[in-house]
Amino acid sequence: MPDLDAARKDLIAALGPEAVLTDPHALRLYARDASMVEGSAGLVAFVRSTEDVVACMRVAARHDLPVVPRGSGTGLAGAATPLGDPLLVVTSKMDRILEVSPEDRLAWVEPGVFNLDLANELRALGFTYAPDPSSQQVSSIGGNVNTNAGGPHCLAYGVTSAHVLALDVVLPDGTVERVGSEAPAARGYDLRGFVVGSEGTLGVVTAICVRLTPLPPAVRTMLLDFADVDDCARTVSGIVARGVVPAAIEMMDQGIVRAVEAFVHAGYPTDAAAVLLVEVDGIAAAVEAQAREIEAAAREHHVGTIRVASDDAERALLWKGRKSAFGAIARIAPHYHLHDCVVPRTKLAEILSGVYEIASRHDIVVTNVFHAGDGNLHPLFSFDRTVPGTLERVLAASDELVRLCVDAGGALSGEHGIGLEKRDFMPLVFTPDDLDAQACLRAAFDPDGRMNPRKVLPDGARCGDYAAAALAAEGALPEGTWI
Amino acid sequence: MDLIHPHTKRDAAEALRDASAAGTRALVVGGRRHADKGEPTEVDAELWTTLLDDRVAYDPAEMLCVVEAGMRIRDLRMLLADGGQEWPVDAPDDATVGGVIATGGPTIRQLRVGAMRDTVVEMEVVTGDGRLVRSGARTVKNVTGYDVHRLMTGSLGTLGVIVQVALKVRPLPKMTRTLVTHEGGIELGRGLLDAVPLPAAVLAGPDRIVVRLEGWPEEVEEQTAAARSVAAAEELDTPFPGPLFPKAPIVAEAAVAPSRLGTLVAELGAYRALMGIGFAWVPFDDGSALGAFRSRVAELGGIAPVIRGPGGLGDDALPAADVHRRIKDAMDPAGILAPGRMG
Repeated sequence: MPDLDAARKDLIAALGPEAVLTDPHALRLYARDASMVEGSAGLVAFVRSTEDVVACMRVAARHDLPVVPRGSGTGLAGAATPLGDPLLVVTSKMDRILEVSPEDRLAWVEPGVFNLDLANELRALGFTYAPDPSSQQVSSIGGNVNTNAGGPHCLAYGVTSAHVLALDVVLPDGTVERVGSEAPAARGYDLRGFVVGSEGTLGVVTAICVRLTPLPPAVRTMLLDFADVDDCARTVSGIVARGVVPAAIEMMDQGIVRAVEAFVHAGYPTDAAAVLLVEVDGIAAAVEAQAREIEAAAREHHVGTIRVASDDAERALLWKGRKSAFGAIARIAPHYHLHDCVVPRTKLAEILSGVYEIASRHDIVVTNVFHAGDGNLHPLFSFDRTVPGTLERVLAASDELVRLCVDAGGALSGEHGIGLEKRDFMPLVFTPDDLDAQACLRAAFDPDGRMNPRKVLPDGARCGDYAAAALAAEGALPEGTWI
Repeated sequence: MDLIHPHTKRDAAEALRDASAAGTRALVVGGRRHADKGEPTEVDAELWTTLLDDRVAYDPAEMLCVVEAGMRIRDLRMLLADGGQEWPVDAPDDATVGGVIATGGPTIRQLRVGAMRDTVVEMEVVTGDGRLVRSGARTVKNVTGYDVHRLMTGSLGTLGVIVQVALKVRPLPKMTRTLVTHEGGIELGRGLLDAVPLPAAVLAGPDRIVVRLEGWPEEVEEQTAAARSVAAAEELDTPFPGPLFPKAPIVAEAAVAPSRLGTLVAELGAYRALMGIGFAWVPFDDGSALGAFRSRVAELGGIAPVIRGPGGLGDDALPAADVHRRIKDAMDPAGILAPGRMG
């Protein structure tokens, strides 16, 4: 077992006492992220520079400590939940925007910069940072990179990986590497693309070069309501079938609309079975043309009213309704469990009826607010976990839900990640050979298996040497060992 | 030289398992459009992917298309056109889908349609030792597991054979137009880039600028007017993009941060520079001029692999060389695939 006291001394010597958390009560606050899984942190370090991270990696290597990176802790899959008393490296104090270069359409930022702060900073220059997860007020770019975060506007603009040009990464052996480039191509394999979305299992990202997206000259935001959930869902493929790719197509069902409306008073129609929030942007003439097609598709599917935001204030209000959905559902019950499976968008209608059926059978309240254009579901189970038996019902329903999506040809997660929560579902979508290749490529970055162990890959998926060693020691491994 | 010409993924897997066991060095070949890139050393066998060319699944409403990787670009284009869609890459007809992905070629229209690497959402690959490995999913969005396909994209056939891919496709533009100016230069190129809203490409040469526009008809008219407010421009009716220096013995594909294109091409007599993106294609008669150019590119923080003729990828150091080596070992443990190509 690693000697935590000795490691703590080394860490304080390297970073200074103020950068290392020692109070046991304070440590508890870092025992989980925004997922339902709780772990325990051995040491917590607040890093302020790449050099600090290098020092952390060296201390961890010397004491054979696992390392878990953490941004704002808003992750929903448990990727930043520390297991087995690791060193938690918190990057939230690395929060500077280092450089903005409009001419190169790029900016260098530290990982702790909040997503929305970056977007607001760029707005004055006529640009934005396109990925806009609903957590963007509090989630950091470093966390976004590690989960390959999405958001409503990823339908047209693509997810985080399409907006990251380069990364500075501290590898577990303490070496610092720049992967990717300010130039549109870099030497070697696309390590950048592999690190994005790796959930802190390959190294610690200490600087990010993001791509700037010019603000569109015109935007139109529309709220469409439907008396029937099926019609609402089918409008989504109807829009796409007309050759239109809106900037965003978000769907909200009645349960979530009612919770949101009581919260933000945006004038959402609480009697509709479901609504679509659709946004198109671009050159004014193109926005007009796309809006016409969207209205036509909606009318084919019996849309009720079509409300067009008349100004920026109304547009902001409509989006506030969508983005505060997860706050609003606290009105339904104290706890929630959120999935983010992706399904082919032509199967949205049938999958949604499946979701309602599963929830009803397990007697759980479910509401839906999701990125319909991407087929990225967000069924939200609301419950009170202090009521005995409830959590078990929620987990049973979750299990069925995942299988429903996978059977429809879907994926386990569209943007939240695998972390701990979905780790053991991985064999549903990958063969042992697939998982073994992933494990070996992970080990290419982290040969000692100390980076965020036991996340993403199920226990049992490991690279060649690990397989032999682990099999030999089967059953004899101490708790928390990387397996 | 031996020829491996598999009919199925399983054939490919068996052939590579045998090749790894026997130490047979093999080069993966698609449409042979990028055979020069990375100057592969001598091999014992070629593995042709061109019989792996089936359509696997295509539903336009999903905006995804699944095909075997040996399919020619021409065939894919026709398949998608039936659904009113395209795979937005600018590759020649006889290239293969897998070849375009493996060589990581740039998309000329990247400003508007995004980078090719972001269109590959699922991939099946046969590793050097004959394992069939799949990553990603047939959904437009997905963060399930490690993206092995990211490493394969641009890996020049050094890690495995791409045998099947799911591609994110997009609606064909309602209208396209290519404009050409009577004058050229980076300065004018930048002026056009700033003036024209959401262009697909601004390709600058020393004596003319080609501006590619696409979108809704009203949109293209507005873009055209914006372009003409900066410089006189005629409509061009030849296919876009046109061939790049077809007679030059050596063509380099430099990549620098976009603001450095001006410095990069300052003393060159011939070039095509992709404004706002940072690629520049430059012809050379011989290796010595290429060497001088590469020094300049390196000073500007870029790279300049040769895509036609001798010259390889350049001798810039690989980042995280140990990681590169271990990735190669994980995917091609016997080291039989395109030895020396990635360096």
